[in-house]
Amino acid sequence: MGWKVRLNVTTGLLGAITLAFLAYQWLPILTLGLLSFSGPSGGTTFPMNGVSFHWYRELWQASVMNDFKPPLLRSSLLALACALTTVVLSVMAAQAMRGRFRGSGAFFYLMLLGIMAPGILVGFGFAILMRLLGIELAWNTTTFLVQVSWTLPFGFLTMLAVFNRFDPRVEEAALTLGASRLVTFRRITLPLVLPGIIGAALFGFSLSYDEYPRSMFTTGPDGTLPLAIMAQLDRQLTPEIYAIGTVTTMSSLVAVTLCAAGLWAMRRSTAGRSP
Amino acid sequence: MSTIRVRSSASYWLALPATVWMLVVVVVPIVLLAWVSLWGGRSLSPTSPLTFDNYAKFFANKTYIDLALSTIGHVLLLMGLTGLLGYCIAYFLVMKVRSPIWRLVLFLAFVVPFWTSTLIRAIAWVPFLGVNGVINRILLALGATHAPIEAFLYSRTGITMAQVSLYTMMAAGPVVYMLNAIAPQLREAAMTLKAPPFVVFRRIVLPLTLPGIVIGQVLVFLNVMSDFATVATVGGNKHALLSNLVLLFYEGSQIRAASVVAVLLMLCMLVGVVAAMRVVDIRRLGTDR
Repeated sequence: MGWKVRLNVTTGLLGAITLAFLAYQWLPILTLGLLSFSGPSGGTTFPMNGVSFHWYRELWQASVMNDFKPPLLRSSLLALACALTTVVLSVMAAQAMRGRFRGSGAFFYLMLLGIMAPGILVGFGFAILMRLLGIELAWNTTTFLVQVSWTLPFGFLTMLAVFNRFDPRVEEAALTLGASRLVTFRRITLPLVLPGIIGAALFGFSLSYDEYPRSMFTTGPDGTLPLAIMAQLDRQLTPEIYAIGTVTTMSSLVAVTLCAAGLWAMRRSTAGRSP
Repeated sequence: MSTIRVRSSASYWLALPATVWMLVVVVVPIVLLAWVSLWGGRSLSPTSPLTFDNYAKFFANKTYIDLALSTIGHVLLLMGLTGLLGYCIAYFLVMKVRSPIWRLVLFLAFVVPFWTSTLIRAIAWVPFLGVNGVINRILLALGATHAPIEAFLYSRTGITMAQVSLYTMMAAGPVVYMLNAIAPQLREAAMTLKAPPFVVFRRIVLPLTLPGIVIGQVLVFLNVMSDFATVATVGGNKHALLSNLVLLFYEGSQIRAASVVAVLLMLCMLVGVVAAMRVVDIRRLGTDR
């Protein structure tokens, strides 16, 4: 067998593995979506026993026990707050890294620790700290503090990557022309790194919105959405969980698509402006 | 010259909020866990005498030792599976897909689930794995089996299957990055010098992508090690890994025992990360290219 034939066989094999894995990754998600439309007597697996919006209606008219609307609101607000905080702090931190201050190496590792340290340990440790200090746990205080420690490093790495590819000569030009450092930063630097800022915000939002282990230990009686889903799963698995899963998955996809489209449009408009 | 002066005091002020935040929320709690795991006595207070009794209790119980060993075995299995699968996928995407549109479509198809909730994706495996689940129905329809296999849901197999689908892209992502960074001239040079494709792969491509492989393996290692949620949803309450034990003790108000497990978990992870750092310097990635 010649090496060209072998090369083709390898390509075919790798292609088959790739496509098979794609199916493997997507089928459960698609099944979840499909089963969420099963009829009122439908169980948690096939057959579907009819097609209906029954479980979505159930979701909407839910009783106190399995009402997902308040947790959804809490999770959304929390994710927004995390996105904002992540953007501000990560731009500051990445700008500081450009100043190559003494101890910036240790600072980098400190931020990396936020990604490396597993959520279950951070959440558990922080919960004990709060207990010893006598501070009440609540979704809008302690959970917020813990979640930012998870979203911030991702925003920081995004901004660092953007600043690494950034051409400092445009700043130099503005400064030589007499603009102050603050004005240069606001008028030149910030608009140029805007795609990175959107990326950092997206990380902040989606990581916070989906976060489970950190929230589990640090949230008081009023839980976030992932906590509510887990609690419902512990009580009983119904197609209602599939419905809420489909809704959150779809909203994540819409958010990502919108951001990607925004970035693409922005790149096009800046590309059109340059000579 | 740039908007920030090198070694100016401004950079300290800019870095301060993030530093304080990370110290208070990540470093202090982890140090606290190590301290609490040494507390003796009856009440949970900083005045407790320090002792190694909590560790002695853990290591005296054979069930826990077995659990720790099986956790390590499970993590190694997943690292192997995701590493192999991830490398094949990364290699195909970067080296074999020529059309830019197909590349984008495939890239999106792989990355998009990453932006959705891991918890939901784990739950999505439940209707797949049950006795009446999708896999069993397919197997029955194909005639591959006569009775439904009960071994999928609430089993180690099911957990492994779900985790492979969740974490393979973590192993593939860094490899994609490193493969993209290889100059095509390097491979062309080797081929001009009559190296067969496999030799080109083994002597040129594989060594150059090694940092990507290592980082991917570290990501999978850390995530599987601490992923108690998938184990809980797909494995039911029948199966536990070391991280589930933390939760179990915590819910049973055995804070000191939970801290012991947490510290052991942390030590395992530290050993893994340090070992990986000896192979590749994470800081150098992305800066000098």
